[in-house]
Amino acid sequence: MSAPLPTEANRPAPFLRKGGGRDATALPVTAALPDWVWGVLLVLPALAMVALFFLYPLGLSAVSAFQGRDGGWTLANIAKAFELYSLDMAFTLAIVLLSSALVAVLSVAIGGYLTLGENRLAVTMLRWLYRWPLFIPFIVAAQMMRSFLAKNGLMNNLLIGGGIIEPLQAASLLDWRGVVVTFVWKQTPFVALMVAGAMASLDRSTIEAARDLGAGRLRILAEIVVPQVRPTLVVGLILSFVTMLSVMSVPMMINPNSPTMITVDMAYRINAHGDYGVANALGFVSYAMAGLVGWVYLRHGVRQGGAR
Amino acid sequence: MSELHVENLTVAYGGSRVLNGVSLHVRPGEFVALLGSSGCGKTTLLRAVSGFVPVDGGRIAIAGRDVTKAPPERRDTAMVFQSYALWPHMTTAQNIGYGLKLRRWTRPRIAERVAEMLRLLKLDGLADRNVTQLSGGQRQRVALGRALAIDPDILLLDEPLSNLDARIRLELRHEIRALQQRLGITAVHVTHDREEAMVMADRIVILNAGVIAQIGTPEEIYRRPASAFVASFLGADNVVPLQATRTERTLEIAAGPDHDAVSLPLGGDGAQDGAQVEMPGSGPVAAHFRTESVRLASAGHTPPDALVLRGRITQAAYPGGRWRYGVAVGGTVFLVDDDDRRTVGDAVAIVIPPSALHCFPLRREAAGTA
Repeated sequence: MSAPLPTEANRPAPFLRKGGGRDATALPVTAALPDWVWGVLLVLPALAMVALFFLYPLGLSAVSAFQGRDGGWTLANIAKAFELYSLDMAFTLAIVLLSSALVAVLSVAIGGYLTLGENRLAVTMLRWLYRWPLFIPFIVAAQMMRSFLAKNGLMNNLLIGGGIIEPLQAASLLDWRGVVVTFVWKQTPFVALMVAGAMASLDRSTIEAARDLGAGRLRILAEIVVPQVRPTLVVGLILSFVTMLSVMSVPMMINPNSPTMITVDMAYRINAHGDYGVANALGFVSYAMAGLVGWVYLRHGVRQGGAR
Repeated sequence: MSELHVENLTVAYGGSRVLNGVSLHVRPGEFVALLGSSGCGKTTLLRAVSGFVPVDGGRIAIAGRDVTKAPPERRDTAMVFQSYALWPHMTTAQNIGYGLKLRRWTRPRIAERVAEMLRLLKLDGLADRNVTQLSGGQRQRVALGRALAIDPDILLLDEPLSNLDARIRLELRHEIRALQQRLGITAVHVTHDREEAMVMADRIVILNAGVIAQIGTPEEIYRRPASAFVASFLGADNVVPLQATRTERTLEIAAGPDHDAVSLPLGGDGAQDGAQVEMPGSGPVAAHFRTESVRLASAGHTPPDALVLRGRITQAAYPGGRWRYGVAVGGTVFLVDDDDRRTVGDAVAIVIPPSALHCFPLRREAAGTA
């Protein structure tokens, strides 16, 4: 806090402090510039970065979704995107919602066991293991899942070897199920990390009070712990939702055939057809989905802020 | 209304023993306070009874049922926590009714019981209020209501008043005690506040370093502390080393550098006016006395039937009611209360009546440094 910002360091000393102390002889220009101007000047570099590298490309992409090849305004791109890919849009939303739901269940289960589990060895092992997928990129995860979930993959070999299924029953999971499995495998640790942290910081006596009154551990998790960490869980799920929405490598490698996710379609429109218009229209739909959960997030945040 | 039996209880954390063979019987409807300084094991004993601390040895029985190995949810106890431990996502009524919901009571029955609790705890009109909007005193009342609503065998109070400000604390002390007596519930209360234990409890258990130092009614432990530790803990923390001989009816104190020889009557066995002497024969003793049970006299105006220490006032303060003086006797400063206003530097005598003296044998190493 006390270190001057670079912009301050470059300014002549009298500008640093107005009035008082050894800087009492401030130049008149200080008085001429109100405080809010300094505020704006300080925030300007950051604002410029956001505008240049985020708002401008986002706006350009959104605008070009409504522009034809000739530069004129049109709804043709949107219409074409819906005509060709409405199934994929629904597929994308369904996959991401289902994955988020499963991530929610699993991360609460992991966080719950870390918080309420009594077998120290199991808790230590789980704490050590569950974070691994966080460090593995989506594309590597997808590649791993390809060899794990394929018809002659590791999972089926294990099931056959264990006598659980017959060789003829072995089926490939490299379709929508594979995408969901990969997303859930990859995103659960992220949400579990947040949720377990929030659970660990709960007042332990609120859990003990419930146990003391006779509540079992599942009940405590559902009625005492989860309601108290709900804001963190929601934030984790929303961030996770937006991440999964933007991943292309996983559907591309596991489920490239129709119906697939719109990220694959966007890449296809650009790579095969040079059709930026429809790709941007698909991007616009993607923003709309992300925007929807963003709105939920903000609403939730405001409500939480209001409650405090 | 149930009784609690704790037999030879041993609890250790990571190799170090926190409770060492504690035995205690709490009778049905009795209010027992566990009193001791930090780290003496009082909270551990309470948490062992509630089931949150695993026990290494011994036995705990509630209402005749052995619960030593039972998890907390299988023991019919209800705990009130220092931090209130209310659930912030629930209203007052939901907090109080939660234990009943777990017991599968019907909604109307729960509502009726919650209303009864709210009335009992003077929380009328706050049923639908979120607990985060309540004051500290109200929150602790809700926590008490939550515990009492299920009508537990044993009510466990883990320093429930420590987080409250002084005025509310005094108020709640009496309310909790009155409620406990009215409902006839068996209660175990952990506190480090001596006065709180004295005014609330039927019996007080004083713990020191994981063992019970003394069990008794407030009056018993105040008048006849069983050891030098208990005497000091209960406020008799002015200690003067003496050479004394105990005879059948008197304590003969030999003259020292700051006092003359004196013969004092012995107390005990119904005699309230004599000195308490916990040693046979003769030898060095540590004589404990309380600030408020002695008085000052001007040098040369001392009564013959009391131990008189000659000293000089080094400090004066007025805490209200009486004056409090620091009186240096030899190298030791004693705190003494007196009605009269005196000046720092005055030569005075501390007059210790026999009934104010609690004498314990002075340990050899302590005698060397005294």
